[in-house]
Order: sequence, then C-alpha cells, then structure tokens
Amino acid sequence: MSKITVAGVRTNVQQLLHYSNEEKKRNFLETVELQIGLKNYDPQRDKRFSGTVKLPRVPRPGMSVCILGDQHDIDRAKHLGIDAMSSEDLKKLNKNKKLIKKLARKYDAFVASETLIKQIPRLLGPGLSKAGKFPTPVSHAEDLNNKITEVKSTIKFQLKKVLCMGVAVGNVDMTEDELIGNIMLSINYLVSLLKKGWQNVGSLTIKGTMSPPKRLY
Amino acid sequence: MKRKRGALEKVDVDLPNLQHKIKTDPTSYQDEFINQYSQYQSLHELFLQSPTTTDDSGIIRLRDLIDFVSHVADCYPRITGAFPSDLIGLLEKHHATLEAELRDKIVGSLVLLRKKELIDSTKLLNVLWPLLISTPSKSLRALLFQKILSDLRNSNAKTTNHKLNRMMQTTCYNLIVSNPTSSKGLWSVKVTREMWKRQIWTDAKAVSIMEAAALSKDAKVVTSGVRFFLGGDQEREEAAEEDSDDEGDVDMSKLRHQAGINKKTGKRDKELKAAAARVKRKERKKNAPHPLNFSALHLLHDPQGFAEKLFQQHLQPSQPQVRLNLEQKLIVLQLVSRLVGLHKLTLIPLYSYFIKYLTPRQPSVTSFLASLAQATHSLVPPDVLEPLVQKIANEFVSEAAAAEVASAGLNGIREICVRQPLTMNETLLQDLVQYRKSKDKGVQMAARGLMSLYREVGAEMLKRRDRGRDAALKLRAGTGQGTRFGEVQSGEIEGLELLEKWKEEQGLDEEEDEAKGWENWDAQSDSDDSEGGWINVESDGEDIDVSDSEDEKPKKAAKETPAEKAKDSDKENAEAGNKDETPDASRNTASLEPQEAVRREEARMSNLATTRILTPADLAKLHELRTSAAITSSMPSAKRRRLQQQQQQNSARHADDALTSADIEGLASLSNKQTKEEKIRMAKGDPDEKNDHRSTTARRKEKKEAEGKSTTNKEKARKKNFMMTLGKAKKKGKRSLMEHRKILKAHVDRGKKGGRRGNR
Repeated sequence: MSKITVAGVRTNVQQLLHYSNEEKKRNFLETVELQIGLKNYDPQRDKRFSGTVKLPRVPRPGMSVCILGDQHDIDRAKHLGIDAMSSEDLKKLNKNKKLIKKLARKYDAFVASETLIKQIPRLLGPGLSKAGKFPTPVSHAEDLNNKITEVKSTIKFQLKKVLCMGVAVGNVDMTEDELIGNIMLSINYLVSLLKKGWQNVGSLTIKGTMSPPKRLY
Repeated sequence: MKRKRGALEKVDVDLPNLQHKIKTDPTSYQDEFINQYSQYQSLHELFLQSPTTTDDSGIIRLRDLIDFVSHVADCYPRITGAFPSDLIGLLEKHHATLEAELRDKIVGSLVLLRKKELIDSTKLLNVLWPLLISTPSKSLRALLFQKILSDLRNSNAKTTNHKLNRMMQTTCYNLIVSNPTSSKGLWSVKVTREMWKRQIWTDAKAVSIMEAAALSKDAKVVTSGVRFFLGGDQEREEAAEEDSDDEGDVDMSKLRHQAGINKKTGKRDKELKAAAARVKRKERKKNAPHPLNFSALHLLHDPQGFAEKLFQQHLQPSQPQVRLNLEQKLIVLQLVSRLVGLHKLTLIPLYSYFIKYLTPRQPSVTSFLASLAQATHSLVPPDVLEPLVQKIANEFVSEAAAAEVASAGLNGIREICVRQPLTMNETLLQDLVQYRKSKDKGVQMAARGLMSLYREVGAEMLKRRDRGRDAALKLRAGTGQGTRFGEVQSGEIEGLELLEKWKEEQGLDEEEDEAKGWENWDAQSDSDDSEGGWINVESDGEDIDVSDSEDEKPKKAAKETPAEKAKDSDKENAEAGNKDETPDASRNTASLEPQEAVRREEARMSNLATTRILTPADLAKLHELRTSAAITSSMPSAKRRRLQQQQQQNSARHADDALTSADIEGLASLSNKQTKEEKIRMAKGDPDEKNDHRSTTARRKEKKEAEGKSTTNKEKARKKNFMMTLGKAKKKGKRSLMEHRKILKAHVDRGKKGGRRGNR
C-alpha cells in the first residue's frame, strides 16, 4: 500500500468495531492494538527511538495501578479505592527478587510520591525498571485521580530486538471517533519520531484482541 | 633397480598430467587411478606402521599422492570412500609428529574434499577445531584458523547455514564455559569476532559467547570479550563500508566520454561494460533492504545480570580472581558503565566504586570521568551521585589546579549533569559557573558549557544574571521548571502547533489546489508509489474532520476567520459524502468569552494530530518550522547560525553513543602551548592533520598533484629557469622598430590561425 487516508482508517475502524461488538461479541473488553512494522531502518546507524505520548482517551481502563507512597498519598489512594503500598511494605520485600518481580507483574503501572521515589532504586533494586514499570512521580499538590488517568492514557513506543512493535491504543467500547483520534495521534507521533518519517514505516495494522487484523498502511 | 626408479620418477612427473586426463575422461583412466590409489594405500600403511621412521622420499611421494587423489576423488567416489577418513585419522593421531609440509597438505586436501562436497562442513570443522585448540604449532594454528574461517564464510555465502552456525556457536560457547580458566577460549572469541565483523553471525547466540568470554577467568579472554562489546560493532560497520567502497566510485559519464574519444579496442569496450555492470550492482545494493544489525549491546539477553556479574567479578573485589591491570580494568569499567547508561540499569555500588579513583593524580583519570558520566542516567538517584560531583569539584576545579585539570573536571561534571540534572545543587553550580571568567580558554568553555546546560534544564538554580534572556523568560512564564526524578516527559509532536498555524496562514491556497493535488497523485500512484507523489497531497482529513461540526453552519458567517471560512466552504463541498460528523458543542457558541476562545483555539490545535494523518510534506514542513522557531530571527545572523549548528550537534549526539576520554579532555588542548617541533610540523603540513598551517595555495597544489593533473602554461612560465629567460629579456629592450612590428604582426597572425599548431 502506498498511502494512508483518514477515510481508509475510518472504514477499517468501523469494520473492526462492527466485528467485535456485533458479529462476535466476547465476554470481555477487547483491546485494540496498533501494530507497526518498520522498514529501511538500521537499528545501529539510526539509533533506537523510544517515546511516550499521552492519548486523548484512556485505551485500557482496566489497567491496574499501584501507589507507592507516604501516608498522605496512601490515604488519598484509599479514598479513590486504589491499591497502595508504603515504604515499610516495600522494605518488607527485603530486596527479594522474586517478590519484587511478582509485585511488578501484579500491576500495570506504578505511581510514587515525590518523597519516596528517590529511594525506589535502593529499596527495590532493578526489578521495576527491568519490567519497564518505573513509577511516575506525584506530588501532594497534584490531583491523584488526574495523575492516574494520565498514567493510564500514556503509551510508550519502544523498539526491542525486532523491527516490529505493538501498542494498545484503545478498546472496542470506545466510540468510533474516540478510537480514530487515539489511532491517529499514535500514528502521527510515531511517524514524527522516525528519522525518515513515512519511509521508515513498513506496515500499520490495527487489531482487536480477538478480531482479525486490519491493515491500514 | 635403476630402471625401476626411472619408471617411478616418470610416473611421479606424470601425476599432474594424469590428473588432468582423469578430469576430462574419468572412466577410461580408471585403471591408472586404481594403480596410483593402491600405491597411496601401501604408502599410507607403511606410514601408519612407523610414522616416525619413514624417509624423506617416502613422505614426499605420499604427499604428492594425497594431493593427486584429493583432486580427482570426486571422479571415483566409490573407490575413494575411505580416503577422507584416512586423512582425518592421520591428522588426528599424528598431527604433532607429522612433517610440516605433509601436515599442511593434508589440511589443504581436507578443505578441498569439503569443496568437492565429499565431506560436509560439520565433519571438517569437527576435525579442524579440536586441532586448532590443541596443537602447539603456531603455523598450523594460523593455517587452521584461516581454513575454518573461510569454510564458515563459504558455507554461509549463498544462504545462512543455520545448522552449521548453531553447531559452531555451541562449540565455541562450550569451549569457554567448560574451562573458564584456560586461555584456549581466545579462539572462540577470535572466530566469533570475525564472524560478527563479516555479518555472518548477527544473532544473540554469538553475543552470548562473548558474554561468557567476558565473564571467564582468564585475563586475555576477558579483555578480548570486553573489547568486542566496546568495538565490535564499529568494526562491523567499517568492514561493511569497506566492502561497499572497494568497488570504487565509477564516473560513468566520464568513461563514456572517454570511450568516444580514445581508440576503440576490445579491451576498452570490455572495461566499459564491466564498469556499467559495477555501477548497476552498486545501485541495486543501495536499494536493497538494510540488514537487520542490532548492536551487540542490544542483543544481550540479560543486561542487568551481565553488568552486575562483570562488576562483581572484575571490579568490586579488592583481590579479584582474574588479575587485570589498570588498562584492562578500565575497559571492563567502560563496558559496565556503557551497559548501565544504555539500558538504564540500577547498579548502585558502581558509583561508590568510582570515588577513590577521582583524583587528578590517578592515571588516565579522564577515562574514569568518562565512564562515570556514561554510567549516569535519569533513573540514578541524585543522592548517590552528589558526593561524586562534590569530590570532582573539590579535587579538580580550583584556582590552584592546572587548567587542563580544571577543564577536565568541569567537563566531567557537565557530562554527568546532562544525564542527571538533579545531581547539582545551587551553591556548587553557582560556584562552578564563575569559572567562565577564567583566563584559560579550556576552562572558560567548559564552565560556559555547564552554564548553558543549566539554562535549559534548571535555570532557577543559576544566579539571576547568568540565566540569559530565553531562560529568564521561560521561568517567568512558568515553563522552565526542571523535571522531577523519575518523571518521563510525555512526548508530543514537537512543533505541531506551528504547523497548524502555518497551515492556517496558507489555508486559502491549499484549498484551491487540493483537488488538483489529488488528481495528480492518483495518476502518479500507478507508476510510482514513492513519496514523491504523496508530497503534493496536503491532507484528505478536511472532508471528514471530526471536531468541526454540522451545527456551526448557521452561525459561522458571523464569527469565523477567512481561513476557517475557506475550510468550511470546502467542507460544504464534501458534505454529500460526509456522513460521520458528530456534533461538537464547543464550537457553536457565537458569544464566547475571550478566555474561552483561547482555550477553544488550543483544543482545536491539538485536533490536528488526532484528525488527520501527517503527510511527508507535513513532516518536512514541521521539521523546518521547528528548527526556525527555536532560533528567533531577531538575533544577529552569525549568532543564529552558531546556535543552529549547536542544535545540530546536540541532536547528533545520542545517549547510545559512547563517551570517550577525549570528550572529557575537550578543549583542554587549547590551553597548552605548542612546542616548537609541533609548530614546525604543522607549518610543513602533516598528512594526518587536516588543519595544518600551510597556505591554501600549497594545499591546492598538493591536491592537484595527488590527482595526477598537469600544470598550466602560466605555471610553467612562472617556474621556468631564470637563466633560460635571460637572453630573451635582454634582447627585448634592444629590438628595432621593424623587428618589433614583425613580432607583433606575427602574434596577431598566430592568433587568427589559432595558435602555433593551428586549431584545425
């Protein structure tokens, strides 16, 4: 395919939503993923890119977040009904690699109070950053709820050992326009990250968890 | 007896001849071959019975026969079935006592048999590899190494021979792991490095061999493994470049021109064709997709574990198992810090390790500083780094310290702070920044670098007068706050709002030619689907713009700017096919407060990214706008240019790049005075030095000479020996009028004729 049009994206999104919401409705909330294949990209010469971008809508509302905080933040978290851990709880893990790995696997993201975050590498070692889940700082002045939505709606593009990657950009509960907005923003951001822009993009595909893939580009 | 020997010699001489005959017609010379083969067998038997006592002539004879048989073995595979295993047996059992030439011949014959596909690579390598490791003979090792490499290359030439590669890699890996204390592992490292360089092994398995080598217990193996990680990729890149370079640049038009002028011979014709083929091949290579070469550092399976082990094994203990000298320790340290910086690992004890080495008297301290800076990244807790920075400041940067020392210290601190700006505290920073008034150029520049860094990342820590205009403005606007620890700046498409504004300004024109652009693009897309066609297309996002809504139609006439009007008129055209627009309440209020209007504007701006696809043209414009916006046009042009350059430099340097001690030393070279010898060398011109102090003319002349160009007539005249010009010059003054006239006339005539020889 040689070009990508908004109309083309729209029809593909319509088809995808139709399939997952009407043809084969599943018993869970399907996530929509954007899969990217790169081309003409020399990972050594062009250097690897990575970047995060905040989407207009939360792609995965079911994402579980854990607060690592001081007393004030733990209280706020309880108020919102979010899991929280204090520095004592973290010390109890005793730098045990298995326990930390378990903790990292249990949650999709972490938020830590500003006072605590500097100790995180000391307390937990490399476990969290290895899993790519190093906490995001939050200060007392910030609204915790907003922060958590921000964390939830931020997606990360990162190239690992292969030239393809996938990111969750939405779910099938979103309206068509919301989904399109998310997809467009991710595509535009990705392309602006790449050194040669569209010349580096080999393919773009959207896919619901259980739906057939739809090729955009 | 004499006759018999004569006959033998005769046959001996005939072997190459016979070989040739057999190759042309194997069946009719079968008897002769069987004859020779039985001779070989008996000699072989004899040799096996007493390997040490066989006389010289017997060995030479055996050698010739082996050579002969291996060359024609493919013609009689049934008869020579046992031949390869004979050779293998000979080599394996007697390699230590064999006469050198015979031994080399056997190795060569085995490789030949492999080429004729009588034995497979696996078998060959299984024979050669253990020999390579066990033999004490240096010449045999060199031969075997070369043969192994060439065999691996040949079997991977057309397609990757995964099976063979896997076998070989496992062998290499096992060699290192099974006996970590022996230096034999060096051969594994050598083979792997060579294969990596040739891009034959590019996978994680090869990297894991090197990982094992770096963690082995022999100093040589360790250093070679570590060196691979630090330089293997560069080596590979260089090799690839060499490969593409060796074709040489061929100027086709020049060749064609020459072919038209010079004498036409068959040879020239062939050369021209060959050159054309070469150019074509090169062109094809250029279009071929990039091989996927991740650097070795990225292919590591578990970088955290690797870095930890390296550090714990080689650096941390005061009495490590492997004795490494300072240089070797430094490269291990370089690798560890590189890994930490690149993968953002957490290795807290590493930082305190540095502290005892950070003194100006420490040998190669700049390398330590570079390593420290390299090991710093945004997830290192600032309180770990603070004592280090403090120590560098105390030890290196003082009025009493030598200029080179101070500038190295300042550069080191800056490199650390680039990666983790939170390390610095206010008093120290303000103190260090004052060195920008230093008399020494190197120190001055280093201090200025630190200042300009903090203007960007933490202007509030600088004294008010050091902040500079831009940073102060930003601070006042409240945007210049530094980042907090652990915060990841959520990215945005930089300069998007600029693009939006630009689009709005250009709005009218765009709409007019948009339809035309579409048609063009459609026509082009058949023939050429590259981006060239796409650039014309602005965007098709207009006709299905989500945020612009239907219900603004009634009121739009009253409030909208011309550009928006144009957009809307276009929308009306597209209205028919436009079925999925949704109402958006924020746009249809005519009596908006100015404040709200601003907010609405902002929201609309960000819509650009969510509602349309940025075309290649958009991206190009975006880039242009981004660079020009950062550098305000109010600045004087020289300063603007400098800033632009600086920006380019900054973007060219990347976190993936290694930091070397040269970066830390920085401009220290400016502060030391040149010796007389250096000055003379520079004045005379140094082939390695690009900016030597010779005149432009001298340099131009040398360039011309190197290109093999001749001199102009003017130059010839200027260079002509003075004594030769003397006669004419003397006579010139004494010429009579008639003579003068004749000469002038001759000159005019000559000009008309077109020179002495006449331009016919």
